[in-house]
Amino acid sequence: MSRVKEFTLPDLGEGLTEGEILAWLVKVGDTIELNQLIVEVETAKAAVEIPAKWAGVVTRIFHEAGTTVEVGAPIVAIDTDPSAGPLPSDLPGPVPSAESLAAVEIAPAEGAVEPGLIGGPAPGGRTAVLVGYGPKTTTAKRRPRPGTPAGATTTAPPPTPPRAPVTPPAPAVTARTSGPVLAKPPVRKLARDLGVDLGTITGTGPLGSVTRDDVHQALATVAEAPAVTTAGAAAVFDASREQRITVKGVRKLTAENMVASAFTAPHVTEFLTIDVTRTMKTLEKLKARREFRDVRLSPLLLVAKAVLLAAKRHPMVNSTWSAATNEIVVKEYVNLGIAAATERGLIVPTIKDAGRLTLRELAEALNSLVQVAKSGKTPPSAMTGGTFSITNVGVFGVDSGTPILPPGESAILAFGAIRPMPWVHKGKIKIRQVTTLALSFDHRVIDGELGSKFLRDLGDFLTDPEGALLSWS
Amino acid sequence: MSEIITLGKALNHGLRRTLEQNAKVIIMGEDVGKLGGVFRITDGLQKDFGDDRVIDTPLAEAGIIGTAVGLAIRGYRPVCEIQFDGFVYPAYNQIVAQVAKMFYRSKGHVRLPIVIRIPFGGGIGAVEHHSESPEAYFAHTPGLKVVTCSNPADAYSMIQQAVNSDDPIVFFEPKRRYWEKGEVDLAADLAGAYPLHASRIARAGTDATLLAYGPMVRTALDAAAAAAEDGRNLEVIDLRSLSPVDYDTIYASVRRTGRAIVVHEAPGNIGLGAELAARISEQCFYYLQAPVLRVTGYDIPYPAARVEEEYLPDLDRVLDAVDRSFGW
Repeated sequence: MSRVKEFTLPDLGEGLTEGEILAWLVKVGDTIELNQLIVEVETAKAAVEIPAKWAGVVTRIFHEAGTTVEVGAPIVAIDTDPSAGPLPSDLPGPVPSAESLAAVEIAPAEGAVEPGLIGGPAPGGRTAVLVGYGPKTTTAKRRPRPGTPAGATTTAPPPTPPRAPVTPPAPAVTARTSGPVLAKPPVRKLARDLGVDLGTITGTGPLGSVTRDDVHQALATVAEAPAVTTAGAAAVFDASREQRITVKGVRKLTAENMVASAFTAPHVTEFLTIDVTRTMKTLEKLKARREFRDVRLSPLLLVAKAVLLAAKRHPMVNSTWSAATNEIVVKEYVNLGIAAATERGLIVPTIKDAGRLTLRELAEALNSLVQVAKSGKTPPSAMTGGTFSITNVGVFGVDSGTPILPPGESAILAFGAIRPMPWVHKGKIKIRQVTTLALSFDHRVIDGELGSKFLRDLGDFLTDPEGALLSWS
Repeated sequence: MSEIITLGKALNHGLRRTLEQNAKVIIMGEDVGKLGGVFRITDGLQKDFGDDRVIDTPLAEAGIIGTAVGLAIRGYRPVCEIQFDGFVYPAYNQIVAQVAKMFYRSKGHVRLPIVIRIPFGGGIGAVEHHSESPEAYFAHTPGLKVVTCSNPADAYSMIQQAVNSDDPIVFFEPKRRYWEKGEVDLAADLAGAYPLHASRIARAGTDATLLAYGPMVRTALDAAAAAAEDGRNLEVIDLRSLSPVDYDTIYASVRRTGRAIVVHEAPGNIGLGAELAARISEQCFYYLQAPVLRVTGYDIPYPAARVEEEYLPDLDRVLDAVDRSFGW
């Protein structure tokens, strides 16, 4: 490190390549201070005085006044540490920049730029530029803010928009007297999904708008269903020709569940008979695909797929009535229950989060689920947590039924036998593959409209799975 | 070969790489040669590639772009520098009437692989015509693609992707962020780079979505950091491409957060924020907990440098908008 540093002619921010030295303001031997003006240089645009970059003693001036000097050429040498005694005769080569730049407060890390150069530091915590004061290099700081924004503002009324047709927002309970119902878009959607008419609700939000809580409140009031007394126990009829089977195990559980469900959830069942010829064709196509070559495929697979896709379009179908907390719990995941007849009785094992499975995974899950159920090895964990169930009554050769909801679920689909039937197809009577779907649902949660829409979606899908898949995606 | 370099230097490296890789790439503009550009973006390029590839033009923007159109028709890939945003207007006719229309006019036979680089935005304390944000004029014009970078890594990849694009691209550079530093992998293969016309989640959050581009991305990130102190977790999306806009990323974010705030320096009236707000309202209507808000420059000519701090959207104005959104 040399104590003698050479000061080079800087780019004076005019983008010029040379300048003429007009006058030296210091001479060799002078002690100078940092930023003391040392030389006057004239460029093609203006005469400027240049300050010293270091304090010290001027040891050498390279160019006399009147000389034209290239930008970057050394013009003066400064001994930055004169107190260290006389200079040794063999002057070590001057090394500018590095440590001098380290002393600059906002030293650019690239080390190549010097104060006053484009990209170098400029007064006021800025970066030097050719035009303008330069951008600020300081980090942005926030001004002090009144109050605590979090929490405090969440219930605050909206700011008054200028020239708003309404009176300035009064907080909370200002009742809306006339005009359209005010509600935020997500609240409107909630009300629509729950089948609540916004017009019947007195809003408690800002400007009398209906809030999310208002909708839930209104729904809870409507849904207070009349209490139902429990049914009397079955009479014992003593006769020698009767066989007595102790009610236990699966049968007992089934009975308890069915009673609990039938007498707490008001059931409604709707039916839809559809032409599934295309579904059967699609199934054949799938069987021919490499991806499905070693999986058993049945119509149940596409029924399950239809349920999963339709549940996405109507999430309320996949929900639970929670009387304890006075809530409807709408689930994003579908744990799909499949009713299976076994020697020990009917059980409903579930495929957890079935909506995430690919079609092939779903097919595999269905197969293994049925096999495990038939072997009687279904673990208890697989029989809980269902959110929607399918019962394939078609395997018994019947057309339909009115299934009872598994407890905790709001809808169940019965899928009847597929039979060749005369059917009006494209204006003519043809023999088509026809089946009947029956959807039972909890009328506390699902209105007739929603249930019908859901069932119709299932029908649409199974009538033309490929078309529905494309138009829904 | 990751290096910490400034955004300006990253552009310089990116341009250098395209000059090396494709002999048809030429750079044209005022003072881009010997001087290396007023912001030194083309520093050293004329020295290394010659004055027939890095060309100092007269002070005539219409001429620069008109010449570029001719060169592009003859197979060159001109990269034009418009020295400052406010200087582009003499070239506006060439850009919207020729550059934007040639592909359509020729039924797709003639493509114009032109890049028009424009340093834009304020914050450098400059005089009139040096601090404007004219992006909406170009984003509004069918046939032009408009992009802007916000950080050195994007600057490096995006300028190369723009030069390699066969379509004309207006490339806005956030001039007050030229000296912001970041890590750039100079050896990175462009094939693996983030797509030019995709927006990017610059900061993941859950409570509200800030949409920003160019110089305002830094401001939005600062605001998000400050909001975190108040317990609000803001998502920041760097649009990167202003035409076409990558709306899918935006819709997905707004549907998650329920709130959207657009931030740009350009005046609010008929600005990019208006289009974003309209589309978000249409596509995310049921998810919105509050109207889409905008934090923008005021509807006035860009003010004198002494008061530009009052004009430019800053961290506090963004936070005020966040408060307004949550107050709805």
